[in-house]
Amino acid sequence: MMEWKEDTDMQSFGDLHQNARFSEFNVEKDSSDLIIATRGLTLGFGQKTVLSDINLSVIRGSITALIGPSGSGKTTFLRSLNRMNDNVKGYWRKGDVLFNSSSIWSPDTDLLALRRRMGMLFQRANPFPMSIEHNVVAGVKAHNIAKKSQLKQIARLRLEEVGLWGAVENRLHDSPFRLSGGQQQLLCLARALAIGPDVLLLDEPTSALDPISIEAVENLILDLSPAISFIVVTHNLAQARRISHNTAFFYEGQLKEYGPTKRIFNDPSHPETQRYVSGRMG
Amino acid sequence: MSQTTTIRGNNQRKLLKGLLSVRNISRITALIPPAALVFVTAILFVEALPAIKYNGLGFLNHTQWRPGNFYVNPVTTNGVSHPVGASYGALPLILGTIESAVLALVIAVPISIGAALVIVQKLPDRFSQGVGLFLEILAGIPSVIFGLWGTLTLGPILARDVFPYISRIVPNIPIFNFFKGNTGHGEGLLTSGIVLAIMVIPIIASTSRDLLRQVPRLTKEGGTALGFTDWETNKLVALPWIRTGMIGASVLGLARALGETMAVAMTSGAVLGANPSNAFLPMTTIAATIVSQLDSALTDATGLATRTLAEGALLLTVITLVTNIAARLLVRKVSSTALPIGRGI
Ligand SMILES: Nc1ncnc2c1ncn2[C@@H]1O[C@H](COP(=O)(O)OP(=O)(O)OP(=O)(O)O)[C@@H](O)[C@H]1O
Ligand SMILES: [Mg+2]
Repeated sequence: MMEWKEDTDMQSFGDLHQNARFSEFNVEKDSSDLIIATRGLTLGFGQKTVLSDINLSVIRGSITALIGPSGSGKTTFLRSLNRMNDNVKGYWRKGDVLFNSSSIWSPDTDLLALRRRMGMLFQRANPFPMSIEHNVVAGVKAHNIAKKSQLKQIARLRLEEVGLWGAVENRLHDSPFRLSGGQQQLLCLARALAIGPDVLLLDEPTSALDPISIEAVENLILDLSPAISFIVVTHNLAQARRISHNTAFFYEGQLKEYGPTKRIFNDPSHPETQRYVSGRMG
Repeated sequence: MSQTTTIRGNNQRKLLKGLLSVRNISRITALIPPAALVFVTAILFVEALPAIKYNGLGFLNHTQWRPGNFYVNPVTTNGVSHPVGASYGALPLILGTIESAVLALVIAVPISIGAALVIVQKLPDRFSQGVGLFLEILAGIPSVIFGLWGTLTLGPILARDVFPYISRIVPNIPIFNFFKGNTGHGEGLLTSGIVLAIMVIPIIASTSRDLLRQVPRLTKEGGTALGFTDWETNKLVALPWIRTGMIGASVLGLARALGETMAVAMTSGAVLGANPSNAFLPMTTIAATIVSQLDSALTDATGLATRTLAEGALLLTVITLVTNIAARLLVRKVSSTALPIGRGI
C-alpha cells in the first residue's frame, strides 16, 4: 500500500515535467531531430543472437528509458551505441547505428571522439585505481580539456552536481574503493559528466542508491536535459515514468514497443508490455 | 579397567589428531621460513664474529681488500689472530652489488612491463602461451650458462658495438656521465647489469603478465568508454591497478640480482679493491667475491679470510632484508592512496 502511494506521488512530479515538453520529444509525432537512430540493428556473440532488428530513434535532448526483463538485451544495446561491444569476443552485428545522422561504424567516424561525446555509466561501478579527486578529472586530464589549475575546481563542481561532495570533501585523496557501492557509482557519474558529453548512456544508474540519492540523480538528469540527451536503463518502472519522455520496452532481444512514456504505461499495445508495466512479469 | 585404557587411547589419538590438525600444521609451516632466516643469520653472525671484531667499521667504508701475508707467523689484534697486513674493506663490493642490481632492474622493469602488455593484450592466445613457455625456460637456465655466454659472446659484442655508442650519446650530466669514457673490454658493471637484467626479466615479466590478467575488464572499459586510447587505458587504469604487485615483482627480481653469484663473477671482471670509474669497467659484488675468493681464503691458516667472507654474506643478507622491508613500506604507502585494499601483492 505504502509503495503504491509513493508511486503516484512521484508520478505527478514526473507528469509536471513531462507536460511542459511532452510534444517536443514525442517520438511518435516528431522525428525531425534525432541524435541516435538504430536501423535494423541485429547482433550477437558467437552462435547467440542477442538483439534482433532494433529500430529505435532518440530525439535530441530527450530522456529515453529502456525497460525490460533481465537478459532482454538492454545493456548490450546500450554498449553497442558507443561501440563498447566491438572488442568483445565473438561479437557480430548487422544493421546500423546513426549518431547525428552518420553511421558510428563509418570509416570517417573518429571512434575516440564518438566515445567522448557519448558518456557511459556502467551497470556496476568501475572507479579507476587513483584518488577520488583524480577519478573525477581522469578524462578531463587525458583529453586536455582544462588547464591543470582548474582541475580541482572541476572535480568539486562535478562532485557537488552528483551530490557526493559532502561525503568526500575530506577524503579527496583517498581510495575510491573505500566508498560505498552507491557512492562509487555517483563518482563514476561525476567522471562521465566531467568531459562534457552530448549523450549519457546510463545503465541502471540508481540501482545501488538510497531514495534521497535517487531523487538527486533524477533531478540532475532532468536539469541537464535537454543539453544532454539521456538513455537510461532502469528496472525501476516508477523512475521511468518520472523522468523519461519516451520508453522502449525490450523483450527477449526485441524492441517490443517504443513510444511516449505515458502511452507505454497507460495504454500499451502489446500484451507483453502490458504484463511488464503492470508488474505481472519479473 | 579396559574402559580406562580405551579412554586413554582415545585421548592420545585425539591429542595426536589435535596436534596434526590443519591449523597447527599450517601454523608450523608458516613458522619455517622466518625460523630459517633467523637461523641462517645467526650462524653467519657467529661465523663472522672474529672478522667483525677485526675489520671493524672499516669493513663498510674502506676500499682495500688485502688478505695479508699467509707465509709469516700470524699476529693477534683485538684478540683475533690474523695474517700480517690483513685489511678488508668491502665498500666497492657493496657499491658493486647495489649498482649492478639497480642497473639490472632499471633495464628489466620497463622491458618486462612492455612484454607483459604485449603478451596479455596483443598476442593471440596460442602465441602468448608460447611466449609464456619461453619465459619459463629462460627462468630455468642455470646462471653459469648466462655467465659463460655473457663473458664469451655478449661482453665482446657490447664492448665493440654498443658501449662506444652509449658513451657517445649520453649527455654529460650527473648520473649519465657514469656512462662515458673508457669503454673497456666487455667485462664490467654494465655487462653484468645487462646479463642480470636478462635473468630477472622472466621473473618480473611473468608476474606482471599474471597481474595484468587480473585487472577487471569492467575497469578497463571505464577508460575505453571515456575515449581513452589503449595506451591511455594502460597508463591510467591497468598499470596503476597492478602497481603494488609490480613493486613486489621488482623486489623479487632485485633480490635475485643482488644475490646472483656465478653470472656476475664471470661477467664483472671480478676485480677487488676499487670502484669502477664508469659503468663499462670491471667491478665485483659481494656474492661474486665470496665465490671467487673462497679458494684462496681457505689457505688462510688463521681463518680470518673465510670469516671475512662470512661477514660479507651477513652483509648481503642484511642488504636483501632492508630492500624487502623498504619495498613493504613502499607498498603500504602506495596502496593507502588509491589501490583496492588487498589487491596487488
Ligand atoms: N559477451 C557476451 N557473450 C555472450 N552472451 C552475452 C554477452 N553479453 C551479453 N550476452 C547475453 O545477451 C543477453 C542480454 O544481456 P544483457 O546484459 O544485455 O541483458 P540486460 O537486459 O541488460 O539484463 P539485466 O537487466 O539483467 O542487466 C543475455 O542473454 C546475455 O547472456
Ligand atoms: Mg543490464
